[in-house]
Amino acid sequence: MSPGRAVLGSAGVLLAAYGAWLLLSRQDLSGNLDVALWLAGGVLVHDVLLGSVVIVVSLLATRLLPAVARPAAGAGLVVLGSLTVLAVPFLGGFGRENAPDNPTLLDRDYTAGYLALVATVIIVVVLPVLLHSLRARRDQR
Amino acid sequence: MPTVRETSHLRSAAVAARVGRWLGICFGIAFLTGLVSHYAQNPSQPIPFPTNPSWGYRLTQGLHVTAGIACIPLLLVKLWSVLPLLVRGLPADWAGRARDGAERASIAVLVSASVFLLVTGLLNSTQWYPWDFSFRRSHYALAWIATGALLLHLAVKLPTIREALGRDVDDTALDRPEAVVRGGLSRRGLLRSTWVAAGLAVLATAGSTVPWLRRVSVLGVRSGDGPGGVPVNRTAAAAGVEESASSPAYRLVVGYAGTTVSLTRDDLLAMPQRSEELPIACVEGWSASAVWTGVRLRDLLDLVDAPRGAEVVVTSLQERGAFRATLLQGNFADDDRTLVALALSGEPLDLDHGYPARLIAPNRPGVLQTKWLSRLEAVT
Repeated sequence: MSPGRAVLGSAGVLLAAYGAWLLLSRQDLSGNLDVALWLAGGVLVHDVLLGSVVIVVSLLATRLLPAVARPAAGAGLVVLGSLTVLAVPFLGGFGRENAPDNPTLLDRDYTAGYLALVATVIIVVVLPVLLHSLRARRDQR
Repeated sequence: MPTVRETSHLRSAAVAARVGRWLGICFGIAFLTGLVSHYAQNPSQPIPFPTNPSWGYRLTQGLHVTAGIACIPLLLVKLWSVLPLLVRGLPADWAGRARDGAERASIAVLVSASVFLLVTGLLNSTQWYPWDFSFRRSHYALAWIATGALLLHLAVKLPTIREALGRDVDDTALDRPEAVVRGGLSRRGLLRSTWVAAGLAVLATAGSTVPWLRRVSVLGVRSGDGPGGVPVNRTAAAAGVEESASSPAYRLVVGYAGTTVSLTRDDLLAMPQRSEELPIACVEGWSASAVWTGVRLRDLLDLVDAPRGAEVVVTSLQERGAFRATLLQGNFADDDRTLVALALSGEPLDLDHGYPARLIAPNRPGVLQTKWLSRLEAVT
């Protein structure tokens, strides 16, 4: 390993150790147990739940969609999938329960906004990919 | 038919390195701006946090939340592209197993800390707290852990990253032999979709702090509306101050070294009034600029002969909360733009914006712009 990489790696270990010390020294045990739960839970939700959804959707797409539509479906899955994950706390509006008397928090129609976003993605991302693959197929003939 | 072990040709070092590069940049921005925010909120500041530019904190905290939001699509695609490595076989020899185990442990730390930071940051921006830990402390500590694990990961992968970025994206030299299944997107198509996803995530949320994006930011946590054109973070009812803030017995007490003066809101209104256009920028990422009118803080400190450079303990009528009492550093107290605001956008201050009187100072985190002022005590 080059000296530069060794320095970078050692700096990383030191920074992480400082973070671990901050975590353990500035919060009581029950708070840290909750942190541990969220650290493990985040990975599980991502790897098991989101991972399975992506695998099932990809399998269905390859079985059901004609080859020419698959690139567009892939692009749509990447963009809409990640934007949907981002939209969850807005669509659920869970923060409002924490501050029911604050009309300025989460003060939009998020369902309408999300649907507009989905429509925009289909027009801006999915249609061009689909047209591109259709044209490529026509040129191959 | 592909065998069980075979997987998409998109799951390659070529894709992982390119998405990882932007993920690293966004993580870096979020880490550095997060340090700025943490320092700005620190009562003890060996180097005083500057009062200029007045929009500095608005910019850094807007960048912090925006960079974090951009990381959500980037991290999802990055993790998808390397998922098969999670279930790969172990090396045959013990030294190899130890090395492999150590690398997997560091990756586990990096992934769990990254997911933790993005999830808690996103939920905090929408004021949803389904946990029992302290958000600020945990988010801060995990940022150091994630950054450390990221540097270690870079040190381990640097030769692969360099080689992958130096080759064409469709070059298969660095691919695992099983990554052969084609049919969907091309690698360029996947990368383009990822950039579009990250860009749309930013556009959909940044309107909370960039006014001209408000109409397109359909997932903005604030639309920008509120009393006086400024959103509210904590209402008077939530802070439990409705009664004390509207009471005729209200007085603002200004003190220094045993001398105190007690002022009604009318006394404050009778003093010279100044107007300043200053942004209010919340740690949760939203911000708004507005014209605040009131008494210059320095004029009030002069009433009790507080020397220049004195720090001010600012206390609110709130009975609870971590920010009930805050310390205003000397450079903020002496800045001519620092006001005890009585009006916002030409209207008397709304109860939810801190009526009868609130603090507004340039380049200061929103949580420290104390509302419902009850006492200003100069200390040297």
